[in-house]
This record gives sequence, C-alpha cells and structure tokens, in this order.
Amino acid sequence: MITVIALLVASALISYLLTKKWPTAGAFFTILASLGALVGLYLLKDSTGTIETFGYLNFKMTTIGWYFAMVLGTVYFTSAFFNPDWMDQMLYPSAYNAFYVLSFAGTIGLFFAQDLITLFVCFETAVWSSTFIVLQGKSRRAAWIYFVVSSIGSMATLFAVILAGQTTGTFDIAAAFGLLASDPLVAGVVFFTFVIGGLTKIGIFPFHIWLPLAHGSAPHTFSPVLSGGLVKLGAYLVFLAAAYIPMNSIFSNWIFVLNKPLPVYILMALGAVSIVVGTLRAIQQDDAKKLLAYSSVANGGYILIGILMMDQMAFAGGLMHLLNHAVASAAAFLAIAVVAKRTGTTKMTELGGMIHRMPVTYIVYLIAIISMAGIPPMGGFVSKWMIFQGLSDKGFIFLAMASAFGSIGSYLYVFRPLSAVFLGQLSPRHEELKEANPLMLISMVILTLMSLGLGVFPNMVLTTIAKIQTSIGLTPIMTDGFKTMTANGSVNMFEVFVVFGYGFVLMLILFLVLPKSRRVGLMDTYTSAEFIYTPELLHYSSNFYAPFERLYAKWPSVLPWFTRASTKLKELGEWTESFFFSQSPTRGVMWLVVIAILAMVGGSL
Amino acid sequence: MTLMNFIYGFLVLIGAFVFQTTLTGINRKITARIQKRRGPKFYQQFIDIFKALSKSSITHGWVYDFGAIMALGGIAATVIFIPVAGFQAFPGLDNVFVISYVLAVGMLGMAMSAAGSGNPWASIGVSRALTNMLAYDIPLMVVVFTLIFINKSGSVADLALLQQGSGVFGWNFIKLPLGGIVAVVALFGMLGKKPFDSFIAPAEIASGPMVEYGGKQLGMMFILHELMTFIEVSLILNMFFGGGETLVIYLIKYALLYTFTNIVSQVMPRFKIDQAVLFFFRVPLGMALLQGILVIFLGWGY
Repeated sequence: MITVIALLVASALISYLLTKKWPTAGAFFTILASLGALVGLYLLKDSTGTIETFGYLNFKMTTIGWYFAMVLGTVYFTSAFFNPDWMDQMLYPSAYNAFYVLSFAGTIGLFFAQDLITLFVCFETAVWSSTFIVLQGKSRRAAWIYFVVSSIGSMATLFAVILAGQTTGTFDIAAAFGLLASDPLVAGVVFFTFVIGGLTKIGIFPFHIWLPLAHGSAPHTFSPVLSGGLVKLGAYLVFLAAAYIPMNSIFSNWIFVLNKPLPVYILMALGAVSIVVGTLRAIQQDDAKKLLAYSSVANGGYILIGILMMDQMAFAGGLMHLLNHAVASAAAFLAIAVVAKRTGTTKMTELGGMIHRMPVTYIVYLIAIISMAGIPPMGGFVSKWMIFQGLSDKGFIFLAMASAFGSIGSYLYVFRPLSAVFLGQLSPRHEELKEANPLMLISMVILTLMSLGLGVFPNMVLTTIAKIQTSIGLTPIMTDGFKTMTANGSVNMFEVFVVFGYGFVLMLILFLVLPKSRRVGLMDTYTSAEFIYTPELLHYSSNFYAPFERLYAKWPSVLPWFTRASTKLKELGEWTESFFFSQSPTRGVMWLVVIAILAMVGGSL
Repeated sequence: MTLMNFIYGFLVLIGAFVFQTTLTGINRKITARIQKRRGPKFYQQFIDIFKALSKSSITHGWVYDFGAIMALGGIAATVIFIPVAGFQAFPGLDNVFVISYVLAVGMLGMAMSAAGSGNPWASIGVSRALTNMLAYDIPLMVVVFTLIFINKSGSVADLALLQQGSGVFGWNFIKLPLGGIVAVVALFGMLGKKPFDSFIAPAEIASGPMVEYGGKQLGMMFILHELMTFIEVSLILNMFFGGGETLVIYLIKYALLYTFTNIVSQVMPRFKIDQAVLFFFRVPLGMALLQGILVIFLGWGY
C-alpha cells in the first residue's frame, strides 16, 4: 500500500514539474499515474490484513478499504483522460495536475488508514488538494463554501478522533471504537461528531449546500471526480462509525424504531430528506452540472441509508450503489464536459440537438442516466432494488417512500438534459460542432461498459461485498451463479438482460419488415399552422416541469439561512475585534495595562 | 433458459396483444353506448393498428426510430415477465420491482423518441407524462412496500398465489382496503384514464407525446399502448385481486377490471397536471401511509 501511496505522491511532484515545462505531457502523466495506482491497487486484492508503517502513519489492508479505493481509482483514472484537453483552460495547469494526483493519494491513504490520526491526515490531504482545484473553477465563492463546509466536517471529525483517543488510550480505529462501548455517553458523542464529518462530505441535508456550488463551478474535468469519487470519502467515514462503534448497545437507553435506535433512525431520516430535497432541487435546475450535483445529493441519501441499515440486503445495496453511482455520475459529468468543451456552456436553455453532432456522447449520457435512475439492465437498478428489498422487508415505510420518490423523481430530472441538451432542435450556432476526441471517448466508453456490466453481472461485485459483510460480522449477501438472492426473492439479471434483448430484437424485426420511412428535417414538424423558421424557438427547454415546479417554488431553501448565519457570525467577529484592534492608541494602552495586571496577579491566583 | 421459454414468451406476447386489443375495441363500443352513439365495430382497433403499420411514414432521425424500437422492446420484455394465471414464460423474473422498472425502459424509450422528433409539443407531453407518473407511482409504491412486508415476497406470482383459496376474502383489496383503493386509483393514473389523462392532452394542444407520429411508428405506439395497458392492469389484478386460478378466471377478472376503469372514467372531469399531483400526494398517499402504519406498527390486516 505504502508503495502505491508514495508513488502517487512522487507522481504529484513529477506532474507538477512536467506540466511547468510541457502542459500536455504533464496531463498525460496524470493518466499514467492513476492507471499505475489502479493496477497497483488491483494487485493488492489478496493481501488483506497486511500492516505497513511509515513514520507516524500506519496503514492496514482491508477488503472494504480496497473496495473503496478501487471505486475511487476507477473514477480518477477515467476522468484523467480529459485532463490533456483542458490544460489551456486552466489557470494554473501545473498545480491542477499535481493536486489531482495528490488528492488521489490522500483518498487511498484514508481508505487504508489503520489509526485515526492517519485517517485524519489523509482526509485533510484529499480535502485541501481538492479545494485548490475547485478554486480554479468559475467561482471563488463556491470554493469558499466548499472549504467552510468541509472545515465544519473536519473539525467535527478531529474532535471525535481526539475524544476517542483520549478516552480509550488507543488510536487504532477498530480497537478505539470497540472500547468506546464501555462509556455510552462519550461513545454517542464520538459517533455523532465522527459521522458529521462523513455527512458533510456526502452532502447530506442540511450540509448539501456545497455540492451544487462546488460541482457546478469546479473545472469540468474535476466535477466527475468530486461527484463520483470524493463524496464517497464521507460514506467511508460513516461506514467506519457504523461498523465499529456498537450502535445498538451505546444507544440502548433510547427508543427503538423498528429495531434501530432513535438517533440512528434520525440519521437515516436525514438520508431520506436528502433524497427528497436533492430530487426536488435537481428538477428545478437549468445548469446541467448543478442538476447532476443535486442528483448526487439524492444518491448520497441512498448510500447513507444503505450503510446505516447494517444488514444483509440494504447494506450490500448501499455499498454497491456507491460503485454504480460513481461510475454513472462520472460518465454523465464527462458527457456534459464534452458538451461544455464544444459549446462553452452547460446551461440547458442554450443547448439542443447535440445528438446530431455527438452521437457517442449521447449514448454515454443515456446509459449513465438509465443507471442513475435505476432502470434495468444497468447497475443502478440492482443496488436500488436491494435497498428497496431491505427497507420493505424490515418495514421502514417512510424511508422506502422517500427512496421511491427519489427513484421516480430521477426520471424527471435525468430526462431533462437528455431532452434539452441532446435531443430537440439543433441551433445553427452549433452546426459545426465535432464529436469528442478519441481520448475522451475511450474513458467514456469504459464507464459505459462498466455500468452495463455491473447491471448484467452484479455478482462480480457482490462477492466482494459479501466478503466485507463477513469481515464486520454481518450475514453476507447470497449469490448463486447469475442469481442474486435476497430474503424476498431472487433476481437473475443476466436473464432479464437476455429477455430485454429478445424483446428488442423482435421489435427490430417488426420495424424492419414494415415499409421504410422517408427522412425529413427536424424543422419539418407539425405546428398547428404556426410558421416558425427559427430552430431555437421550436425547442422546448426552459421551465420544463413548470406545473410541478410551481407547487414547491416558494419552499424555503437552507442556503439563505446559512448565509444569514454567516453574516451574523461575521458581525460578531467584528464586534469582538473592535475591542482589541482600533486606530485609537488609548485602546492599545488599555489592553497592555490589563495584560500587565493579569500577568502580575496571575501568579498569585 | 431454453428455446421453449422464448417460444412461450412469444405466445404470451401475442396473446396479450390480441386479448387487450379486442377488449379495447369492445370498450370503445361501451363508451359509445354511454354517450348514446352506436360506436365502431369491436375489431376496429385492429383495423386502425394494421392500417397505420402499412402506411408510408416519415422519420426525424435515428433516435426517433431507435426510441420507438427500444420502447416497444422494453414493453414486450415486461409483458413476458408478467405471470398470467400462475404461468410464467421465464420463471423467477416476476419481481414487482423488476417489472415496474423494465416498464420504465419502455417509457424512457418512448419519451426519447418523442423528444427526438424535434417537436416541442411532444416534449411538453413527455414532461406532463413524467410528472403524472411521479404522482401515481409514489402512493402505489408505498402500498407495494406494505404488501412485501406482509408477504415477505416480492414475486408477483407469489403475491397472487397467496391470496387464492379463500375466495374474495383472501384478496388484498379486501384485506387492505385502503391500500386496495389506492391501487385502483393509481391504475387510473397509469392507464391515463380520466381524471388523469391531461398528459395525453386530448383536448388542449395538438396531441401530447404522440403529436409527431404517423405511419408505422404510430402503429408501433398503438401496440405499445395496448401492451402497456395489459401490464398495468395485470399488475394490479395479480397484487390486489388474487390473479386467477385458471386462465379463464384471470381473463374474466381482467376484462371486468379494465371495463370498470373505462366506464368510471367516462363520467369524470379532468385534472390539470399539478392538480393531479396534489390530489395523489394528499389523498391516496395519505391513505397508503395510513395503511402502512396500521400494518407495520399495529399489526392489522394480517
């Protein structure tokens, strides 16, 4: 492990120097570095349990850490293919490449951390390096908010780390969290503060405000990493807390809702709220990247609920959803990045008809959203299906309702970019656009095939997840050949795929034997005797779900609340400051006297 | 998975199409009688479909055709998954979520094809249809979650089988009356029957999602509509009305349920889309949640 991490840190330095000299070479080096790390990680798959130490940092190989690292590695590797084409648009290309690789190193270190200190150091490495990348995007305010929310999470985690270490006398994650059970109050505080660090990173309500801002304004090549990759760091923190702190015994004095202690149930309810809020806000967006960012908020809710369920089905579903969402969301963001590269905008109202210029990008986006919306035969279906099965089996009806809402609601928001950006009328301004270049296509096609492969052969991943479940003492998910088994019935995704293909072939034959159609232009449509000659006017892209959006247009948002809180905090700071710092010399002399008196009296107190 | 499975699947597909199309024809006649007209012949629906299929047609690009094929392919696969009177062409693929989500492939394909035509009214129709779907699906899903919680099975065939044997009183519609009513109301939404038919827009703008279709694509959309109706009615029939012990009973129950929705819809006014959403989220969702709470937390109903 240390070899991989050390090589990545060294690569960060090399790519910095290389980019200074030749920007494109430096960008290609990031592809190479992330590929090397990915291969290195894959080779580690059988060395579970190895412990390595480097100075004060201790790393331990675990199946869960390996799984998370592979998910992140995939996202970093595929997104890196986009770096060479964006070098001329970066403010500081060398810093971008260096931090790209460094944040990857930080995330891997986090997943393999054996003790809490290593965990925190690596967490901060990843957060700081990504902050500097987000800063290079469109808006400084977005980076600022990202940093503040991340800091809240980091501070909470740091508090938990120190409290746990002080109480138990050890920083080893499993040992420290296990020993906490003897003191339920401290354990509860550690659990919550540690989990808050995770929630801010996943973007769970009410900490979700940074996601749309940071994802929306980060460089187009980094948004896939933020959404597909870095938010999963939070999921890992939540996993650690849920798996190693014995929740049911430390909260044994609380009310239990369906065998879950109330505090844990509240956290799951927050996940449900995130699903609903993320879905509703995504439907309202006009910027395609912000829309996808809100969908990450919603999907983060699924992952949180799945992990906190800590059972056979929903937990496996949650972990698998993490991978499915990473792959699908990265693909969708990359497809939008191609559109942004070619047209210079991500606003849906300014686009349309891209399918006629970039058909492959369209297919990539289509498969990605099918997976995100949880429609078979893509990966997203399997994981959502498992979460649904788990929730309905235990009777979590409100959480299940929120999950259903997020699932059906996702049809609405994923269809909007499909229709407004890719389908519909092509504006004459975009007549000359070209398809993405081969380098970009390679990475997008890899992700698309992964989405499909995960949907048709989910058991490839589920066997790894079963190992994770065994390692933390849960009943592992059952698989049998192509069949995925649950208590409420099984599904054979390969057969589903074959039958779907059968239906498609039947209808293709029907289509082909019928008389051939005559090709007409896009503007040649039925307009009930209106004469319209401007393609933009014949394209429906603004206010897409107006009747539905009207119903909740006036609902309060949490962002103004946070803004007001920050204004008050700033005023408080200024008020406090006014006591100490002033133009007037008397104020300074007064404090000098006060300090002198305190120093003299202090000894005798 | 053998060749026989595929042949059975094909037969189910043809059977479902012929049966539902005949039923639609008969219901056109019933509608006409309610409105004091004579109405068309009972096989008029077949004539309409085959005529459309044989006519010359236009296309607006590959996604317009591909979407139509994908839609019909997805719907055809879903029909094959549906257990009819306990018979399944591919045993074990009848999980309720699998069925309702493979159905979504069909809907997405149709939406894609319609938006790909470049006609803004088609997109407006799709946006309304999706909003309508969000409205009726949430209450229905809550009831389905409750059903799975009680029966510990997500298989539609199992759910149907568990209701059989004690006559009408075994039906989930009787055992879970609130949920049963929600399911029937949701069926109106699914089928696009009044009061939830504004996404088809029969009265206001040109013609909703279908505005740009003609010739064979229109014929395919007709077939799609018949098959989708078969899936939706069958789902509710299997889950709440005990399915059917034999094929004849199944088809009779099916015909009654479908005709019931048709007759009721004839005397209904029409909701606007946002009104439909509010209605579904206030009344049926409330009923569904109440049913769920009664069952899960108080143990009533099973």
